Amino acid sequence: MPKLNNFNGEDRYNFMLSLVAFLQNRGPVSVEEAASHFELDAKYLRKVVTSINEARAEVSGFEQWFFMIDLDELEENGILSLIDNLVVDDVPKLSNRQASAIAAGLNYLASLPAFKDDEDIKLLQEAFASNVIRGINPLIELRPGSAEAGAETIRKAILGEKQIQCEYINQKGERATRTLEPLRLDARADGWYLRAFCPIHKEVRNFKLDRMRSISVLDETLSLAARGVSEIEDAVYVASSTDTKVLVEVEPEAYRLISEFKNVSEPTNVENGRLRAEIKVGHLPNIGRLVARYGGAAKVIAPAEAKKIVKKYALAALGESTPDPVEDED
Amino acid sequence: MSQGTSQPAKSDKSERLLQLTCALLFAERGLTKAELFRSIPGYIDAVNSGTAEDALNRMFERDKTGLRETGIQVYTPNPSAEAEEICYIIADDTFTWPRQLELTAKQLQLLTLAAQVWSQASLEADASQALVRLKALGIEQAADDLIGVAPRIRTHEPCFSPLTSAIQDLTQVTFNYRKSNGEVTKREVQPWSLQNVDGQWLLQCWDVNQKDVRNFVLKRIVSKVQIVRNGDLEVNFEAPTDQQLAEANKSLAEHIANQVCELNVLKDTGAWFHFHLDDSASDGHISFNYMDLELLAEELRDFGAEVKVIRPKELADAVRAGFQKVASDHA
Repeated sequence: MPKLNNFNGEDRYNFMLSLVAFLQNRGPVSVEEAASHFELDAKYLRKVVTSINEARAEVSGFEQWFFMIDLDELEENGILSLIDNLVVDDVPKLSNRQASAIAAGLNYLASLPAFKDDEDIKLLQEAFASNVIRGINPLIELRPGSAEAGAETIRKAILGEKQIQCEYINQKGERATRTLEPLRLDARADGWYLRAFCPIHKEVRNFKLDRMRSISVLDETLSLAARGVSEIEDAVYVASSTDTKVLVEVEPEAYRLISEFKNVSEPTNVENGRLRAEIKVGHLPNIGRLVARYGGAAKVIAPAEAKKIVKKYALAALGESTPDPVEDED
Repeated sequence: MSQGTSQPAKSDKSERLLQLTCALLFAERGLTKAELFRSIPGYIDAVNSGTAEDALNRMFERDKTGLRETGIQVYTPNPSAEAEEICYIIADDTFTWPRQLELTAKQLQLLTLAAQVWSQASLEADASQALVRLKALGIEQAADDLIGVAPRIRTHEPCFSPLTSAIQDLTQVTFNYRKSNGEVTKREVQPWSLQNVDGQWLLQCWDVNQKDVRNFVLKRIVSKVQIVRNGDLEVNFEAPTDQQLAEANKSLAEHIANQVCELNVLKDTGAWFHFHLDDSASDGHISFNYMDLELLAEELRDFGAEVKVIRPKELADAVRAGFQKVASDHA
């Protein structure tokens, strides 16, 4: 998970200490293996090795070097071998914040149907509860529609690399039976999403589970095209070239609107925490629903076409006009 | 791209932190600040390039904070000594893991997943550093995905991170809070915990002025969260007891149990699917509990005209007023 472009000084320092401890525990290991173990680039590892070998201090007038990773071994055979280590016996244990982040993540996992009775999760929760202070609590779900029964069926299909069939309702209220090739299931606080390869559109699309029902696992395994999908974006709304740029203004109550979209540029502060940002919207008619939910805490500034859609959407919800037809969001 | 070494590079923070850690671990009895400034290349370079003493001291303070934030406990065994005698040590148990922590490949995959829950959210940096450390324990990660799901927690609120720190450090904080009726008041609280109810983050805390437990919806905090100080010192408080926390949770649960809504859902709509209504159902009548009227109104607005509120009337009014505001804002 660690993304290099996010690595700051503390992250790099943390990794250096961890790499020394890893080599101490594990013994000599190839650069490639270490890189894949930490999910980092091998080139990055080589640079870090230089920094580790450079670690020194002047102690009582002498220059003291703390580590030596064998550079000949690295150059000739691509092997990381720690031949000198004066100070680090083990990985630093987790800070309270780090342990709390993991503990809260575990609590969240435990609240999902997939892990309801998982012994390993229980064990880990106990291990992390002992040295963690209270802080972030598991999610509490009250509302019907939040815990999706279909999620477990889809998860099994993903693990078995099988296609699924389901009934899907689009925003026009049209119901259709669809075949999808499920790739990843995202559980989020606002509901479940399925990233699936759509055989009709021949690309990965995003499906909200609360628009699906009667989900069944088919015998057919995933197509080559679906298997060929290498990476799935984490953002809920994935930008494409046909997107429309919409300038919005949001109060803190509606920050979610701009944090879930890919912003075109950094949001600017208008006043008192009110932000302006340009977001990219895939199907412009959807802007009505996206903005109206905030009941005034979010506002479209431009273009005029988007403002008109929002107004019409609100009036239609009040029963004072008929809404514009919306395109399917998936 | 150049590998030139003749020009000393601008002191790299990660390298300086590593030097500082190693020097402190190596000198078991600790080192004074002056000794550190004489022995750590990162500081020596700074001195040689003309860094003023003030700036050097600030750099050292920032470095110590950096170490502490990643859990490297730097402390002073003789805090009341003369300033130049004060020395710094890394606590013995900084590198000691609980013995029982021997992870299997599946457990490591679960921990990875638990850390990834925070990708792009407030605790991402802490979670990913934790994961690097766990991986350094040397366990082989399972080659295949054994889980098939990518759970994510979202934190859209800028106050999430400072509140997490205040909860951990037991520091009193103030912020401006906007109630759902628009009224803004300054609050001073002792933050206890954060919890997520139906996708909304809540701060559970002791309200110093109200002298009572309060729950605040994070997204209604409309100012920066500020630490309360008395002179230079942060104002701390005692951690809540388990009983206090249990009572606070109980009173929130009671509050929720007392709030019931009834809705009518239009057939063959997204809302009909969302609320799991059966096709054999004769009507779309549903009823459930909720925590906050305005937050529920916001969710219901998502369904536009697909849902009609039967009761309470305040909820129907809130949904309607929101749409009216949106319509007039976009006139």
